[in-house]
Amino acid sequence: MAKIALTGYTDKISVAPGESIDVKVSADNATTAHVEIVRLIHGDEHPDGPGFLEELVVADCAGDHAVRKQFVDVGNAVVVADPSNRLVGDGPMTLWAYVFPTTPAKGRQVILGRFALQENAGYALGIDGQGRLAFWAGDGSDTDEVVSPVPLIHHTWYLVAASFDPRSGQAALLQQAVVNPYNGRLGKVAPFDHYSLVEQKLRIRPAAPSSPFMWGAAQNSAPVRGVFKEFLYNGKIDRAGVIGAALTVDDLRRLADGAVTAPEIARWDTTAGYGESGIDDVVRDISGNGLDGVGIQRPVRAMTGYNWSGRHDDWRVAPEEYGGIAFHDDAVIDCEWDTTFTWQVPVGTRSGAYAARVTAGDAEDHIPFFVRPAAPTAPILYLMPTNSYLAYANEMIVHHVPVGQAILSHPAVLTEAEADYYQDPRFGRSTYDHHSDGAGVCFTSWNRPILNMRPKWRSSAIGTVWQFPRDLSLIAWLEKKGYAYDVATDHDLSRDGIDLLKSYSVVLTGSHPEYWSEGSLNALEDYVADGGRLMYLGGNGFYWVISYRDGEPQVMEVRKGEAGMRAWQAEPGEYYHQTSAERGGIWRNRARPPQKLTGVGFTTQGFDECHPYRRMPDSYHKSVAWIFDGVEGEVFGDFGLALGGAAGLETERYDLELGTPPHTKLLASSTSWSDNYASVHEDILFNHPGTLGTQSPSVRADMTYFTTANDGAAFSTGSIAWISALPCFDFENNCSRIMSNVLDAFIKPGALPGGAWDQDEKSWT
Amino acid sequence: MSNSPRLVGRRAYRPHWPVNSARVFKRRRWPGTKRSVLKLSGRYNPKTLRREMVLTDKKPMFWSVGLAALLLLPMGVASERFFTMFGIICIYAAINVMWTLIIGTAGLQSFATLATVGVGAYGAGYLSVTYGLPWPFMLLVGAVLGGLLGWIISLPARRLDGLYYALLTLGLSEFMRNFVTQSDELGGKFNGALFGVGRIIPADLLTSRLGQSLLYLTAFIALLIALVVYRWVNGGRTGLLLRAAATSKEDEAFSSALGIDFNKERTRVFIIASAVLGFLGAFYATYIGGTSLQIFSLELLLLLLAMIVIGGLGRAEGAVVGTVIVVGITQWFTDWGPWRIVLVGVLALASVLFTRNGLFGLKAQIEEIRDRRKALHRAGITSRFAEYLPQQAPEVHDKSEIVGRVFERSLRERLRSWISPELLAEHEAKPLGQHSDRLERMLNYFRKAPIPDKYVVYCEVPFESYRVVALSGLPGVPPRIVDDKKYATLDEAYHAVFLRRVNDLRAN
Repeated sequence: MAKIALTGYTDKISVAPGESIDVKVSADNATTAHVEIVRLIHGDEHPDGPGFLEELVVADCAGDHAVRKQFVDVGNAVVVADPSNRLVGDGPMTLWAYVFPTTPAKGRQVILGRFALQENAGYALGIDGQGRLAFWAGDGSDTDEVVSPVPLIHHTWYLVAASFDPRSGQAALLQQAVVNPYNGRLGKVAPFDHYSLVEQKLRIRPAAPSSPFMWGAAQNSAPVRGVFKEFLYNGKIDRAGVIGAALTVDDLRRLADGAVTAPEIARWDTTAGYGESGIDDVVRDISGNGLDGVGIQRPVRAMTGYNWSGRHDDWRVAPEEYGGIAFHDDAVIDCEWDTTFTWQVPVGTRSGAYAARVTAGDAEDHIPFFVRPAAPTAPILYLMPTNSYLAYANEMIVHHVPVGQAILSHPAVLTEAEADYYQDPRFGRSTYDHHSDGAGVCFTSWNRPILNMRPKWRSSAIGTVWQFPRDLSLIAWLEKKGYAYDVATDHDLSRDGIDLLKSYSVVLTGSHPEYWSEGSLNALEDYVADGGRLMYLGGNGFYWVISYRDGEPQVMEVRKGEAGMRAWQAEPGEYYHQTSAERGGIWRNRARPPQKLTGVGFTTQGFDECHPYRRMPDSYHKSVAWIFDGVEGEVFGDFGLALGGAAGLETERYDLELGTPPHTKLLASSTSWSDNYASVHEDILFNHPGTLGTQSPSVRADMTYFTTANDGAAFSTGSIAWISALPCFDFENNCSRIMSNVLDAFIKPGALPGGAWDQDEKSWT
Repeated sequence: MSNSPRLVGRRAYRPHWPVNSARVFKRRRWPGTKRSVLKLSGRYNPKTLRREMVLTDKKPMFWSVGLAALLLLPMGVASERFFTMFGIICIYAAINVMWTLIIGTAGLQSFATLATVGVGAYGAGYLSVTYGLPWPFMLLVGAVLGGLLGWIISLPARRLDGLYYALLTLGLSEFMRNFVTQSDELGGKFNGALFGVGRIIPADLLTSRLGQSLLYLTAFIALLIALVVYRWVNGGRTGLLLRAAATSKEDEAFSSALGIDFNKERTRVFIIASAVLGFLGAFYATYIGGTSLQIFSLELLLLLLAMIVIGGLGRAEGAVVGTVIVVGITQWFTDWGPWRIVLVGVLALASVLFTRNGLFGLKAQIEEIRDRRKALHRAGITSRFAEYLPQQAPEVHDKSEIVGRVFERSLRERLRSWISPELLAEHEAKPLGQHSDRLERMLNYFRKAPIPDKYVVYCEVPFESYRVVALSGLPGVPPRIVDDKKYATLDEAYHAVFLRRVNDLRAN
């Protein structure tokens, strides 16, 4: 029997009691699946911890549900709604566009056109199997083409056009490069003669296809699956249009000058629509015919256009130079699956991390989501870093990055599920991956199965759990210690702002809250500044700038800039987000180093070993010594589910020059690490021998504490591995004790312990 | 081996010329088809980036030159012996081209070729002798008779395979010969010879050079017709489908699964080819003003077969050039007597023994031999991590690879010299974390290797069972399991990966 596989996703990231959540499941080789709702307690199966823990929840949706295979229509396109059928292609016409192909040699690709492969009908301007510009016509049974004599050169801007007169059959094809010193991979000195003008009679007249007019794709269909996109284009398309006349070769020669006057069916201005908050997915037709197009799977906008002068690096200054829209044949923003079942979350359901557990045969999947409180029910809020879960969603670093094992300092540890997924990455990629044409992935989304955001999942790259399954260890600790707590997500904070936080005495972070929108960062900073208490329990947090479009929090944008430990770097001039009109990159380069909020900021990463902390002299001061009540000796955290220590993986340091509040106490530090821990890129101006662990003092993890106005405080552990140390020895260990000391103090309203010791008295214990 | 570098790196030559891109490139097509007049493709010269037009298909060039020579040579020499010989060449070549269509394209081992030609010749000749049918109608009658016969012979092809079908069709020739011998109307009383058929060029003109030239021209046109039909059928959709299916029985089954009606297409090709053969028979009768039993003889059939075999089965150019060679030998060296036939036999035998597909299969065969020698030569002097040779450099698009190898080779040599039992023991004791400088450098080299065939650990059961696999580096291709060993801990698996990498380093 064929292997059963199950996976799915939910329509919401978090849900409040009283609301409902839709779960979308796809099943291979199964027609029914058994569904339970579970509350997730612990997700790391490391033998030194409690193992996988879940708690069955009584739910109205529990039981058997019919399931089927659901497909994903992968890849970008722009679809033009054409109710009055102006683009049917039965008269003389000319298609034109500015294009920047990135993989012209990859196989047939459609630039502009209306072609149904299943019907062999329609017309399109595209790239043929040999990387040459082509115009195709299909009459319902046969096709014909005219092809340019020379291939297109990748990463070069061209004006391309095809004219066709169905009366005479005469077709003409123009290809004309637009090269300036900035806008392409090659400069003018590479002596390519790109110009070509071809004339040929076609034997075929296009028949009207049932598919819509599209940029970047043709339509195909198959039994069971239905219609889908094919001949997907990789690269950018700038302004484009359709003229209702077959331009002669002489007209085509003058097309670039704009000197041709002919009736326009459509003229798409890709620079129209930029505003205060960026740009949407609509490609606007300014011909007056209303033939606007809509981007599918979110093509990337705010990209440099054919006329980019290189003088501006920001679309907000010169939107007319930012007409580029990037298309990718592997982009997935929404699987668009049908709902399989819905859970009506009963009022009174406790807040937490949940999953729909779906099983059929041997196959099982936990489809995660969060239940936030309708109103605060406890003094503790655990803020799950869902932005960062999205950033890493379906990450495949070890398969794509040759230096990956060197960065990670050990051979990757692959699982079957990951090896399978790599065969067919149909649910898209993470912001740590590249598209098939080498461009960095800047959009990631919740609307698709996320294989690595699952309890029990172990990261192949890291060799331990990563993100969500690690963060569950804090839930297990809270449960074990009997604290009352609520759970909310980055996405809730983004929506509700400081209102989400202000009723809580203390906010806990996850192990790696790396990705932050400006609004959320402001809310958290305001909360801490005004008496809120923050326990920052991770490493490499508050690092990258992200944004969502209003009302679409499921899709997150990241543009990795010129600094930071980054999997890719945006192309010059493309650092500004299209969904928020702000500069992407690391917050440190926007004058908000994490130290300013938490006392510590990213300083090193390495994945060979984790280490214990050693208490620093500050920790014996009476103002903070209470944090170590019951902790014996100088060293703590020499254990953990993550490589045997509480300090490691990605870690933080105290740095006054980066904005650590001057009164911050350096409680503990972990030093003397291996050379596999490297200094972060943004700390290095000149690279030189000696920036690695055995030689650089900045390779370490710092634990800090400082107080804020109105009895607020921030306690930071500065290490991703911290949370994974808590479950050791059945949650009874010195890290756990430190956690309890701080949390017990933070829960209590009013003055914090040790606050009285603010003079030069003898204050050493 | 090492004394053959002259063969290394030689490229196929294609005619090319610079292009003025400002001029409109008018792509012209053959009337009524989607086929370009010449198969041209543009390119950027890889050495200079100069824009060039390349003739990607050199065949039209060779055909034009070859056919022009065939047409003009006898006309220029204008000796009767030349006209006779080249006339025969044209007619036999036309017959062979059609036979090629039957054997090559349709994939039918039919030996009824000359029987079909004979039926056209005798049928049309009889009507001409008896009723004075003018030659244009003779050609038409020949084509109809040929087509009819073709249809009849194609029927058993659905049932009979290979050898049996060949025997059956061979028998047909013999049957025809007997039929003619016993039939008074068809010249049985003159030992099968039919005289007085109306000639395509009036007999009184034939004594002049113009008449001879005109007569030869008709034979040349007959060959052109055969070639056009061949191109139309073999290069068209039917030919494409049939050739896709013709190589084996499995392919036949595969193509019927794809919806190709194999038998129908085959029959169609057979009938078309037979019609042209009948037409050629009628033409032959009106060309020489009669016909004889020789047309049904086994000797001539075998001679034709030798032409096809020498030229190369399944190719029109093979059929034509093979005909030129064999007819040239038999007609020109008449004073050699029977030794000509021996020579033809030797040539045919030689092409069967030493070539894969006659004269025109030689090019591919030689290229393959050259590629193999090239590969062997390179393999003899290089290894995976050796530096590139000057003659290899043109094939490397990214020159960084070349200098990367230079670096990598010296790095590997240094690392290899560090392999020692102590080093291995150090890794085994502690696979992760800080190591001695030498081990750390070695590990960094291993970890930075390219993805294809890079070792990783495969987790079968977390914390219980691990193995070593190698990544493919290709989406859609699963990792390769390198052996059947299993490891209980990650550290053991890490060390197993390390040992494999050390072994690979040692190996070259």
